Amino acid sequence: MIKAYLGVDIGSISTKGVILDENNKILASKYIWTEGNPIGAVKNLINELETQIDINKIKIVSIGTTGSARKLIGVVLNASVVKNEITAHAIGTTSIYPDVRTIFEIGGQDSKIILIEDGIVVDYAMNTLCAAGTGSFLSSQAKRLGLEIEELGDIALKSKKPTNIAARCTVFAESDLVHKAQIGHKKEDIVAGLCKAVVTNYLNNIGKGKKIVSPIVFQGGVSKNIGVIKAFEDITGQKVLVDPNSHLMGAIGVAILARKSGQEIEFDFNVKNIEFTTRGVECHKCANNCEIICIYRGKYLIDAWGNKCDNGAIPIKNH
Amino acid sequence: MAKKKISFPQFGNYCIPFEYLLTNILNVDYIIPPPTTKRTLELGSMHSPDFVCAPFKYQLGGYIEALELGADVLFQVGGVCRLCYYGELHERILRDLGYKFEFINFSELDIYSPIDVYNKFKKYNSKLSAPAIATKLLICIEMVKMMDEMENFIRENVGFEVNNGSFDNIYNEFLEHVRKVKSKKELKKLYSIYYKKLKDNEVMKPKKPLKVGLVGEYYTIMEPFSNHFMEKELAKKGMVVTRTMNISNTVFWLGREKELKKKVKGYLKYDIGATGIDTISEALELAKKKYDGIIHIKSFGCTPEIDAMPVLQNISNDYKIPILYFSFDTQTSETGIKTRLEAFYDMITMRKEKNK
Amino acid sequence: MKIGIPRAFLYFKYGHLWETFFKELGIDIIISPETTKETLQIGTKYSIDETCLSSKIYMGHVYSLIGKCDYIFVPRIATLQDNNMVCTKFHAVYDLVNNTFKEYNIKILDYNVDHRKNQTEMSAFLEMGQKLNKKKFDVVRAYYLAKQNEKRMNDVALLEQEQLLKINNKIKLLIVAHPYNVYDKYMGEPILKHIEELDCIPIIADIAPKEEAIKKSKKISPTLPWLYNKELLGTIELYKKDIDGIILMTSFPCGPDALVNEIILRRVKDKPIINLILDEQEGTAGRETRIESFVDIIKLKKGDVNGKEKN
Repeated sequence: MIKAYLGVDIGSISTKGVILDENNKILASKYIWTEGNPIGAVKNLINELETQIDINKIKIVSIGTTGSARKLIGVVLNASVVKNEITAHAIGTTSIYPDVRTIFEIGGQDSKIILIEDGIVVDYAMNTLCAAGTGSFLSSQAKRLGLEIEELGDIALKSKKPTNIAARCTVFAESDLVHKAQIGHKKEDIVAGLCKAVVTNYLNNIGKGKKIVSPIVFQGGVSKNIGVIKAFEDITGQKVLVDPNSHLMGAIGVAILARKSGQEIEFDFNVKNIEFTTRGVECHKCANNCEIICIYRGKYLIDAWGNKCDNGAIPIKNH
Repeated sequence: MAKKKISFPQFGNYCIPFEYLLTNILNVDYIIPPPTTKRTLELGSMHSPDFVCAPFKYQLGGYIEALELGADVLFQVGGVCRLCYYGELHERILRDLGYKFEFINFSELDIYSPIDVYNKFKKYNSKLSAPAIATKLLICIEMVKMMDEMENFIRENVGFEVNNGSFDNIYNEFLEHVRKVKSKKELKKLYSIYYKKLKDNEVMKPKKPLKVGLVGEYYTIMEPFSNHFMEKELAKKGMVVTRTMNISNTVFWLGREKELKKKVKGYLKYDIGATGIDTISEALELAKKKYDGIIHIKSFGCTPEIDAMPVLQNISNDYKIPILYFSFDTQTSETGIKTRLEAFYDMITMRKEKNK
Repeated sequence: MKIGIPRAFLYFKYGHLWETFFKELGIDIIISPETTKETLQIGTKYSIDETCLSSKIYMGHVYSLIGKCDYIFVPRIATLQDNNMVCTKFHAVYDLVNNTFKEYNIKILDYNVDHRKNQTEMSAFLEMGQKLNKKKFDVVRAYYLAKQNEKRMNDVALLEQEQLLKINNKIKLLIVAHPYNVYDKYMGEPILKHIEELDCIPIIADIAPKEEAIKKSKKISPTLPWLYNKELLGTIELYKKDIDGIILMTSFPCGPDALVNEIILRRVKDKPIINLILDEQEGTAGRETRIESFVDIIKLKKGDVNGKEKN
C-alpha cells in the first residue's frame, strides 16, 4: 500500500485537486469549475480523482485544503491542514522551483505577489479593493469582444501596437474598450492592450514597492494566457516561467503541508455520497447581526462560524 | 430643568475618562454610546459623503446612536488632520436629518485660550470653578495614562494567557471601578491593585515569542471594530502585540514633535502631517528592536499615512523587516483580512525558524 | 547650476514668484513639460495606489526632471499666516519625493514655510538664498521683485476675469477647483475648453481677491481649516450674483475637498452645482455628457432652451 496525500484548492472560479506520493510525485490531478457550489465541486473532484488511481494500492492518509473555501471544504473532507493560499502557493512552487525568488499569481478574482528568499516567504501582497485586472475581468472583457477567453493570448501576440486601455476599474475599462473599438482600433491591438493593462495594473498595484528578482514564476488561471506572459516579460525585462502544472501549485503545496503535518486521518472516497449542507442563520444577539454559517453532515451539525463575538458561538457536539 | 445628556462617539475605552471628566465638572449625565457595530457603520455611511475616511462615518453613526439613546449635547474634539473639520460637517448632516441637539465643536473654540473653553462649558454648570476643573482634569489625564499602560501590558501578554479571557476580566473590573474614584490617591491605589493582578495573571510564554508591532492612523488603530479586532486576531495566534500609538504618546507627550524629529532622522526631514511622523518613528523603533513584523493600519484615503508608506517601504528594505499594509474602508472583506493575516503569521514564523 | 521645477501642484500657485526669484538671482531654471498621459502613467508607478490624482501627476513631473538639472525644487508648506493650514500633502511632499526616488540619489532644493513655527515665506526664501550661496542683499531684492511680479500677474488675471464677469448674454460657470487641477493641461484644460465650446464662460475661482475671499468663506463654513480651500470657497459668495452655476472639480480622492464639497452642497442652495471627480479613467465621454446636461438645465431655468444652442 502506498501512502498518498490529497491537496484541494477551492477558489471562487475553479477547484483543483492533486494526489501526491511521499516524494511529491503527482499520482492524480484534476481541474474543474466551482460554479458557485464548492461542496458539489469537491464531490465531483473526489469522484474524478478516484478514477485516476487504484484505490487498492494507494491510500490517502492526510488531506490539506486551501483557497477561499478552504475552511468549509476542510470540514467536509476532515482535513489535517487548512492553509491560506499564499503559504500554500509558496510551498507548492518552491517544491518544483527551489530557487524561485518571485511568484506572480493572477487568479479568478484575486491576485498576489510572493517574494521568496532561500525557499522562505519574505514578503507578499494581495489585491485589496476590487477584481479589476484579474481572471474574471479578462473573461468579461473577452465576452464583450465576442471572443473566447482561451483565444485571447494568441490574438494578442499578433498585435504590433497595443492599444492603451484604462484598466483600473472593471466598469470603466469596459466603456473604454467599447469606445476604442468604436473609433477603429484593431481587435488584436485591443486584446494586447488588455493584456498589457492587466500587467501594468498588477505591477502598479500589488507589485508596488516590491523588488522583483528572477527567477520569476507566474501562475494562476491567467498564466495560461500567452499574451499576458509576453506583457510581463516586456515590462519587467525578465524571463517569466510558467509551469505546465501552474494551476495546481496551491493544491500541491497544501498536500505537502498535509504530509509534513504528520497527522494521519483515515479518508473514505465515499465522502462523495454523503450529503453536506450549509445554512446561514442571522444572530440577533447584538446589532452586528452576524451571519453564522452552520455546516451539517446529514442531519448533524458539524461546524459553525461567522460570529464576531462569543454571544454568537454555537456549541458543536461530537458525532 | 432636566439634566443635559452629553455624548461622544466610541473610541477604544476612552469614553470612560471622558465620562469621568464631564460628569464630575458639569451638571450633566454622560451617555456612553453602544459599542461600535455594523449598524453604527451602516448609519454613518448612509449619510456621509462618498470618499471621506471611515472614521468620519463611524463617528457619525456613533452620534446617531447616542441621539437615539436620548443624548442632547454632542461634542467633537477635533484633531490634527481632517478631523479638525469633522465637527462642522457632522453637525450639518445631523441637523439636516432633523435631530435636535446642542453641539460643542472644539474647532470653533480657541483651545489655546482656557477662558474661551471655560465660557463654553460654563453654560452647563453655573458654579464651575477653575480649581475644581484642574483637579478633575489631572485625575482624568492620570486615568488615561494608566489605561494606556495597562492596555500595553495586556496586548503583550494576552496571547499567552492560560485561562481564556482572564486578562479581559481583570481589566473590565478595573474599568468598572475606575469610573467611581473620588481622588487621585484612590485612583493610584486602584491602579496598583489591578496592575499587580495583571502581572500575576498566569501566562505560558515561550522564551522567544513572535513579536509584531502595529503602527498607523490614530482612529483606525485605536477603535477595535474599525480594524476588525486586529489585535485580538494576532494575539490569538500566540504573538506579542505592541502598539505605541495612544493618547499618552500623542496628546499628552510634551516635547513630542522635537523628539520625534530626532528619531526619524535619515528618513524624514519634516513633520509630514498628523500622525505620519509617529508611524515612521514607531516603525523604526520596532525594526531596531528586531521585531518579527510590522502591520500598518489606516483608513482608506488617509493622506498623511499614505505619504508615510514609501518611507515604511524604505525602512522595510533597510532593516529587512516585513511590513503588512491594511487600508480599511467601509466594505473591507473579513475573509481577505483573515487570509492576509494568516499568511503573515506563516511568513514570520518561517523566517524566524530559518534565522534560528 | 540649474534648478528643475515640477509643473504641478503649487507651481500653479507660486510659479510667478519662483520663476522671478530664480531669474533675478541669475539661476537657470527648467520647468517640466506640460502633463501628458505618460506623466500620469509614470507618476502612478511611483505613487501609492490610493494617493490623489494630483499627487500622482506631481510625481510624474518630478521623475521627468531627474538627470536634467542639478536640483529638483520641492518646497514644503505647512501653515500660513493666521495659523491657516494646508493639506498635509504639502507638509509631506519633500519627504515623499525624497523617499520615493531614493534609488536615483536626487538632490532637492527646498524651502519651508511654517508660520506656526515662526517660519514665514520671507525667512524661508532668505534661508534658501543662503543655501544657494547668494548675498543676502541680492536675495532680499530678488524676493521683493518676485513678490511684485506675483502681485502684478495676479492683478492682470483678476482684471481680465472681471471683464468676463460683466458679460451678460452668456452662461457663466464658476469652476471651484485647486489651481493645480484646473490649469493642468491633462486634467482641467480639456474641461475648460469643452465649457467654452458650449458657448459658456468658465470663471476660475482661483482668480479672486484672496483676502476678501478668505473672509467671505466664513459665511459658508466657519471652521474650515485649509487656506487654499477657503480662498476657493469664498469666491462662491463673491461671485454669486454674476454666475449661473458652480462646477466643483476635484481630483480623486482629495481629502479636504471630500468634506468641503459636501458642505458646499448642503449650504449653497441658490445655485445649481455639479461635482466632477477627476480620476485616472480617460472616459471623457461621461464627463462631457454631464457638463452638457448641466448647461442644459441652467438654460432651461433661464427659459431659453433653444436660444443659444450652437449650430
